[in-house]
Amino acid sequence: MHHTAEETLKPEVLENLRLELRRGCLILAVLGALRTERYGYTLRKALAEQGMEIDEGTLYPLLRRLESQGLLVSEWREEEKRNKRFYRLSAEGKVILKQLASEWKSINSSLEGIL
Amino acid sequence: MELIERYLQAVKFALPRAQQDDIVKELRDSILSQVEDKEASLGRALTTDEQVDLLKKLGRPSDLAARYRKQQYLIGATMFPIYWKVLKLSLILAFVVHVGVTIALAAAGKHFSECLAVLFHYPSAALAVFAWVTLVFVALDFFGAKLSIKDCWDPRTLPPLVKEKPPKSRFELITQLVVQTIFGAWWLAGLHYQYLIFGPGAAFFRFGPVFQAIYPLFVGMVLVDISFTVAAIFHPQWSNVRRISRVVMSGIGLLVLYFLIKTPELLVAADPASAQMQDLSKTVNNAIHLALMVAVVVSIINLVVGGARLLGRWLARTHEPAACL
Repeated sequence: MHHTAEETLKPEVLENLRLELRRGCLILAVLGALRTERYGYTLRKALAEQGMEIDEGTLYPLLRRLESQGLLVSEWREEEKRNKRFYRLSAEGKVILKQLASEWKSINSSLEGIL
Repeated sequence: MELIERYLQAVKFALPRAQQDDIVKELRDSILSQVEDKEASLGRALTTDEQVDLLKKLGRPSDLAARYRKQQYLIGATMFPIYWKVLKLSLILAFVVHVGVTIALAAAGKHFSECLAVLFHYPSAALAVFAWVTLVFVALDFFGAKLSIKDCWDPRTLPPLVKEKPPKSRFELITQLVVQTIFGAWWLAGLHYQYLIFGPGAAFFRFGPVFQAIYPLFVGMVLVDISFTVAAIFHPQWSNVRRISRVVMSGIGLLVLYFLIKTPELLVAADPASAQMQDLSKTVNNAIHLALMVAVVVSIINLVVGGARLLGRWLARTHEPAACL
């Protein structure tokens, strides 16, 4: 009995590959969006408006990781009667973003040729 | 909002202590911002069910907290394959030693329960082997990482290529079949007409009664052995025939060895009245028993290793769409 490729492909394989593909892109998207200072919730909304949905469980740990790598700086400030943690790109983050964006464009143009 | 606080408390419990307050504060703000947005659009407060839905989207508290932790492992990806192989070998070795000791005790005439007690000790011995091997590799990985040992490798130090044994040609298989048939016929006939095996020695020794008792097993062994060779000749694409035959033959061999080992008189003197021949047969039987014990160990190794490899191949193959023997 023959199965087509679509029949035998397990849904979790596609999901894992999709997540893997998105992981690197999310970092770039977050760095890009934080050229403007934002706190977590507004950052998430801004990314979603651009079609980059990201859940809290991914976003907040990522923000902390990027901050610990020196690419972001953050500070607690009160806004709308609540303390919020605002993030923005650090000077180092700006340099890295520029380099990553250039890498992204290069990959993108290569992939367009391949695909 | 009590539900949200309970959720945050559960997240906090699973977070690294130094970051607990900071992370929970940020999460609280994020959750409350979402609640406020939803309440504003609905024009009313969220029901408990709606709060449950919102929290479910965040995932289990332990899963959410785990994302803030660095990935932790005891043995890294570089060391793990070596660790896994050493662990498997050590467990097999421990098993063989236990079986060997059990057989030795049985051959020495110890009580059955005493022999089995040694075998039943294996799980605790296996646990100790697992703990020690893991401990050693954790230490090797830890200190290896500290000393950057892994960076010192040189491609020139890699082991030479291992050439895979090519499958037997049809000519070799036919020759093997002829030899197996002649040997099988000689052995089965020899058990009845013992001069075929002992030659002139038949005047001094004969096989003990056990050989007649397990004669059907010998017939089965010869037939199975020949069948596998015939299968390999007519179905060369059945790549596992050689492996399966090794496992099956080791299994039948072990059964034969079991009956032989528990029999003290494998060979008997042709002249029961001769005291000298009685002494000699006793010495010969002792020597044969020792050889049989070695054969048992070899058969067990073949059975365990062959069985494990077959199982591994079968498990790997279940993920492939096409399958053949």
